[in-house]
Amino acid sequence: MKKIILILILSAGLFVSCTELEVTPTSFVTKENFFITQDDAIASVTSVYASLSLDPGEQSLFGRNLYFLTDMASDYAAAGVSATNPQVRALSSLTHDATSDRVQVAWRQIYAGINRANVAIDNIPKTAATDVVKTRLINEAKFIRALLYFQAVRLWGGVPIVLHEPTSIQVESLKSNRATVDQVYTQIISDLTDAEALPSTYTGTNVGRATSGAAKAILAKVYLTKKDWPNAILKAKEVINGGYGYALFENFADIFDKTKKNGKEHIFSVQFESNQAGNGSSGSTFQSTSFTGFTATEPADIISDVALFYDIYATGDTRRDASYVKQLVNPATGALYTFPKPLFKKYLDLNNLATPSNVAINFPIIRYADILLSLAEAINEKDGATLEAHELVNQVRRRAFAKPISTPNVTVDLVGLTTVQLREAIREERKKEFVQEGQRWFDLVRWGTLVTEVKKVTAKNSVSARNNLYPIPQSERNIDPIGLPQNDGY
Amino acid sequence: MKKKLNIYSLVILILLSIGINAQNTKPLIQSRLDGTVIDDITNEPIVGATIAIKGITHSVISDAEGKFYFQTGQRFPYILVVSYIGYKKKEVIADGSPIIISLKKDLQELNELVVVGYGTQKKKDITGSVASVPKGNLSQVTSSADNLLRGAVSGVVVTQSSGRPGATSSVRIRGGNSITGGNEPLYVVDGILIYNDNSNGTAGVSNAGAGVNVLSTISPADIESIEVLKDASATAIYGSRGANGVVIITTKKGTKGQDNISYQGYFGFQRVSKKLDLLNASQWASLRNDVQASIGQAPSFTPEQIEALKTSGNYDWQSAAFRTAPVQNHQLSFSGGDDRSRYAVSAGFFDQDGVVIGSDFKRISLRANYERNYSQNFKFGVNANYSNSASNGIANNAGGRNPNPLVAVLYQPPVVPIKNADGTYNFTNNPYATAVNGIIANPINDLENTINKTQINRILTSLFGEYKVNRELTAKVAVSGDVIDTKQNYYAPSTTGTGAGTKGLASVGNRLVSSVLNENTVNYNTHFGDDHKFSALGGYTLQYTKGEVVNAGANSFVNDVNSYNALQDGVAVKPYSEAFESVLKSWLARANYSYKGKYNLTVSARADGSSRFGSKSIWGYFPSAGFSWNITDEDFAKNIKGVDDIKLRLSAGTTGNQEIGNYLSLASIGSVNYSFGGTVQTGLTPTRLANPDLRWEKTTQYNVGLDLSLLDRKVNFVFDAYYKKTNDLLVNVPVPLISGYSAVLQNIGGVENKGIEIGLNTENLKTENFSWNSNFVFSANRNKVLEIGNGVDQFFPVVPNGTLLQQQPVTVKVGLPLGTFWGYKSNGIFQTQEEINTQPKINSLANTKIGDRRYVDTNGDGVITATDKGDLGSSQPKFVASFSNTVSYNNFDLQFNFQGSFGGKIFNALNQQLEISTLGTNASTALLDRWTPTNLSNEIPRATSSPLGIITERYIEDGSFVRLKTITFGYTLPKSISSKIGTKSVKLYVSAENLITWTKYRGFDPEVSSYEQNNLYPGIDFGAYPNSKTFITGLNVTF
Repeated sequence: MKKIILILILSAGLFVSCTELEVTPTSFVTKENFFITQDDAIASVTSVYASLSLDPGEQSLFGRNLYFLTDMASDYAAAGVSATNPQVRALSSLTHDATSDRVQVAWRQIYAGINRANVAIDNIPKTAATDVVKTRLINEAKFIRALLYFQAVRLWGGVPIVLHEPTSIQVESLKSNRATVDQVYTQIISDLTDAEALPSTYTGTNVGRATSGAAKAILAKVYLTKKDWPNAILKAKEVINGGYGYALFENFADIFDKTKKNGKEHIFSVQFESNQAGNGSSGSTFQSTSFTGFTATEPADIISDVALFYDIYATGDTRRDASYVKQLVNPATGALYTFPKPLFKKYLDLNNLATPSNVAINFPIIRYADILLSLAEAINEKDGATLEAHELVNQVRRRAFAKPISTPNVTVDLVGLTTVQLREAIREERKKEFVQEGQRWFDLVRWGTLVTEVKKVTAKNSVSARNNLYPIPQSERNIDPIGLPQNDGY
Repeated sequence: MKKKLNIYSLVILILLSIGINAQNTKPLIQSRLDGTVIDDITNEPIVGATIAIKGITHSVISDAEGKFYFQTGQRFPYILVVSYIGYKKKEVIADGSPIIISLKKDLQELNELVVVGYGTQKKKDITGSVASVPKGNLSQVTSSADNLLRGAVSGVVVTQSSGRPGATSSVRIRGGNSITGGNEPLYVVDGILIYNDNSNGTAGVSNAGAGVNVLSTISPADIESIEVLKDASATAIYGSRGANGVVIITTKKGTKGQDNISYQGYFGFQRVSKKLDLLNASQWASLRNDVQASIGQAPSFTPEQIEALKTSGNYDWQSAAFRTAPVQNHQLSFSGGDDRSRYAVSAGFFDQDGVVIGSDFKRISLRANYERNYSQNFKFGVNANYSNSASNGIANNAGGRNPNPLVAVLYQPPVVPIKNADGTYNFTNNPYATAVNGIIANPINDLENTINKTQINRILTSLFGEYKVNRELTAKVAVSGDVIDTKQNYYAPSTTGTGAGTKGLASVGNRLVSSVLNENTVNYNTHFGDDHKFSALGGYTLQYTKGEVVNAGANSFVNDVNSYNALQDGVAVKPYSEAFESVLKSWLARANYSYKGKYNLTVSARADGSSRFGSKSIWGYFPSAGFSWNITDEDFAKNIKGVDDIKLRLSAGTTGNQEIGNYLSLASIGSVNYSFGGTVQTGLTPTRLANPDLRWEKTTQYNVGLDLSLLDRKVNFVFDAYYKKTNDLLVNVPVPLISGYSAVLQNIGGVENKGIEIGLNTENLKTENFSWNSNFVFSANRNKVLEIGNGVDQFFPVVPNGTLLQQQPVTVKVGLPLGTFWGYKSNGIFQTQEEINTQPKINSLANTKIGDRRYVDTNGDGVITATDKGDLGSSQPKFVASFSNTVSYNNFDLQFNFQGSFGGKIFNALNQQLEISTLGTNASTALLDRWTPTNLSNEIPRATSSPLGIITERYIEDGSFVRLKTITFGYTLPKSISSKIGTKSVKLYVSAENLITWTKYRGFDPEVSSYEQNNLYPGIDFGAYPNSKTFITGLNVTF
């Protein structure tokens, strides 16, 4: 019997001793074992870029979500029948309020990206990366951080400035008051100035990273938005003359040709690759929401008014048929199909209509044509309608009409306009040039013409001065009503 | 013959032993009566029985051989009153000496042993709230053990997620305590602790749809008894896993005596219990014309065509999805035992086809248990269960309006043919949908040809050794293992809606979870004199769980021949793998003290250390105390007429909940990809903030109970009232988004549950040939969120469906129960432009037309915005009740069982979508009453193209129901016949399940929850598998 007791005790003891309560996860990395190697540092910055193109369970920031705010809520775009989210429809009719989920998601996505940048900037110094790589990676993170704050300050005005990763989970310590618009711009300029030290080009599997040219180009747009004309001119000229090799594509449609991505006109683009988001999608949802097949069903993203925004292109302007498609050959039947209304075309991959969520067309953040038109705008505002300003606009026009870009062309060129006329001309060019490129609402707000322009579209007659800013998301104000006062009109 | 011999020899023994057992008290007169008290069945002597002569106070006690004698002055005949604990009291007329008195065992006596945590207790001594599932409930036709709890025990609410064979269900004992953590009870199967985590029934394969109930791996026919532990006194011994209640399942064991072979089998069929009323072809054509008119299109159907569609060209897609489906079950068992060993071996086969085409459930189960008395002091045993279940279920679609092919079937325009003239599926002739790669999705084809198979192999086994050190002390070591191996196979062929776009979509996945449990307990039983009984339990247990998940998929196949078996022939989609482990160490102790059987005190405590919690709070401590008072043992209450027992129970204690998932206290780094130079590269970033303070959810529970037995225990009444408060609730607390995070899991919330429970068990009639017993169970629970932290008093859980998510149908709000629906109140229909111009609108003035729905502007600000939404009721029933009856007459017996649930709401999202008019989908017949200029409906709006689903009280429907859940009529062959055919007993029966349901609910069935066990958005009906009526005939034979 003693034996049995012994066996019982032994078998009990066997299990008692062998296991600890501290269980180390084996299938995911924790904070403790991250930020050690150079590869860790690189991966952390890759995640900063990914905040632009990927948000599991949501449409990504530049994969469409920001489009609701910067395009659908402007004049030319609207929510079609297939847009079933009432919040999207509300943005289209400018009747949205502080509970808008799209506004909240944009806010979240922007700050999630800022936090990733903060995490990278805070932690990369302690990794084993070389100093050169460390500096470059930190400046890349600062570039994205500045880009995101630049979106935020234009969308909401003075927003909270967060520059470090959270160190506590207590809600109080995670709050931060709204800063002033000037403070946000100071931060943006500081980050972008650091980012000017970035390499001017990359090769191989680094193409698409932020460059010094990209930093200067965004700086030019920042100064333009601040109406700091001299600095806008200075930075735009550095982009043009800085030896970066930027130029306009001869063919406008090439800008959205996935085989020509990161070409000479692309200064900085959000990269979308096939299967980039996993599960067979790229993270860009524009194609599935602009094209619903060869049917009369209206897609979610449509042109608001054909007369005001499609019929305006002059004969020969290639931008119309590169931006919109009225007819398309149905590959299944071989027959030409005519859509009831022109569809948006820039993000349609006509070779890949079957898997619309896996389209590898990049989203241009800033391209050379934008720098030319921004410089023209700054010069015109500062010095009037100079020849230089005319020439900049004319380069963009010549390309649009498929003419040699640097050769004056009597049928296309604008000549001898007054400052007011040139201002109007630049605005028309931008409207035609940047369809679906996240520019229109920012342009209209910068020019102070949002209300008058948007009112021209009947279904958008709810627009008012409040729409020059978006509401601070209600969910944020629920947590911090004092630090986050609401914008006027919401 | 043998029995008679025994009796004769006993009589002789009695005669011989006259005078041996002298009586101590002084006799009144020198007259003598000798006697023996025996058990009426075993004829074994009963030791310690009290024998009194009626009318005088004098009494004697039977000795070690059951013998007694009187020296008395009474003359024959006189009446003896004989009583003994566990036996029915008996009065016999003594008219001569010697006398043999046989006593009948009283099965309803409080002496009955009840299974409790880590042991058994006499019912009389129990202080907590413990209820047993009546035996009648255990014989129901069901694929899963948790369904046996339904309506069986007060305080338990079982909600099946759907009518799918092998479907998951959620079990709530006294309401849900947790917001984000698990709310399912702990199951203890033959001593093995199992949390019924339905995620174990899925390998995470994309589109695979609803999971398979892991408990369905245990054959219900193997179950001997189920006990439900409800209050803290009973559950605290399970510490951090006791807060949601404990269900103890004991499987059938062999007994000493003859070997038995028994067969139990049934065969039957099921039919869908209800179909929805949808428009026919003609009605739909005119709806489409109205929709077209609303957007300025020319009508596609002429009046002549609409008329013609009344007679031909109508296709009933809904009926094509349903079928009459067979179900069968066979169970063969061998059991028996001798003086030293007991065994039971069984094999079962269950096969159920679903009422929706393409769905089924099969299970093979094997079980063996063996127990051996190795010596007088040592015994050991083994329990082994193996089961293999395979289930085909309805796969999910991409989501949105169309969560699965069953919903897609309902949406199909009735003018579209299901099949072509040649019998093949129609993939082209449908002008109302878009072709993808030449295929227009045909949901009947999707149901039939999409492969969505889940196979679960489960091994559940335990070994134990028990050593009796001496009369008082017993030590036990048990080791058990639970292995769940789940394999999922999914293939959507290129002809299906899901597979067309990607040219076939395949996915396979495996989840292997194994858990090893070691329990070491010591039991000590003693008494001090006759009045003080004391017992104690101490133990140490350790459970280690490890899991691995892997899944992979591919698309773009050249053809559909290889299905999911050749991923390499397609283009890979991102694979997934994961591993996790967790450890739970526990110390446990319990002590019971009983004074004269009148006053019973139980205290218990458990200390649990769990790897799931933050480094600062690994250990949690869970004490409880319970007290019970058997009032009828007091002198003042002993002889109340008609009252047999009154017992009062009081208990209080704390239990915990650790079902929060693994590693949540750590800061995890997740991968997010981006591409440079055309190459996708892995980015890594923190996805969660660390919370080293993450700790247990603690539930403090108070219970008052009253047990009453009346009229010779013909009426048994149990009443319980309880209050439970759960603190430190784990809530994903919303944090400012500027932190880069949306929420952090923190212990911050509070929820309370309070309620009453009544169980009433009565023997209504009993004659020699006829008996009628009934069991009534009632419970009412009130749930309330007390706190969700950080000054926030409301949040909207993210419902995982695009269409529902935007509506935010469910809210968690302080002061309201979990599962509260939140939405607008509607207010009729706009009938005039004047009303539109002056009254609040949900859309802009330009977009609101006559015939649109009006909503109530609750805050009076002149417009309808989200702030006008309010409480539309909760999915939690106000009370549930069931009423079960067993009637038997000679060899016939009839069992019937009514179940009811009252006051719970259901968000009928399917109906909401079916009341939406579009150009391409069918709709509910409710739209026949739609507003038109000639039909000024104030209920149903005009036809428009794809109006948005807006949540209003119209779609938050009353989910109350009463149903005849089961009715079974059986006939047992008379012994004379059954023995002739070489059997011990033969029973034949017919049975029907869900035969009649009384409900106002408009969906398929009010017992529904599309999101399964989820506690945040229960009671949503969107594409759940419909319930069925089942009719079976069965046979039970014992050889």
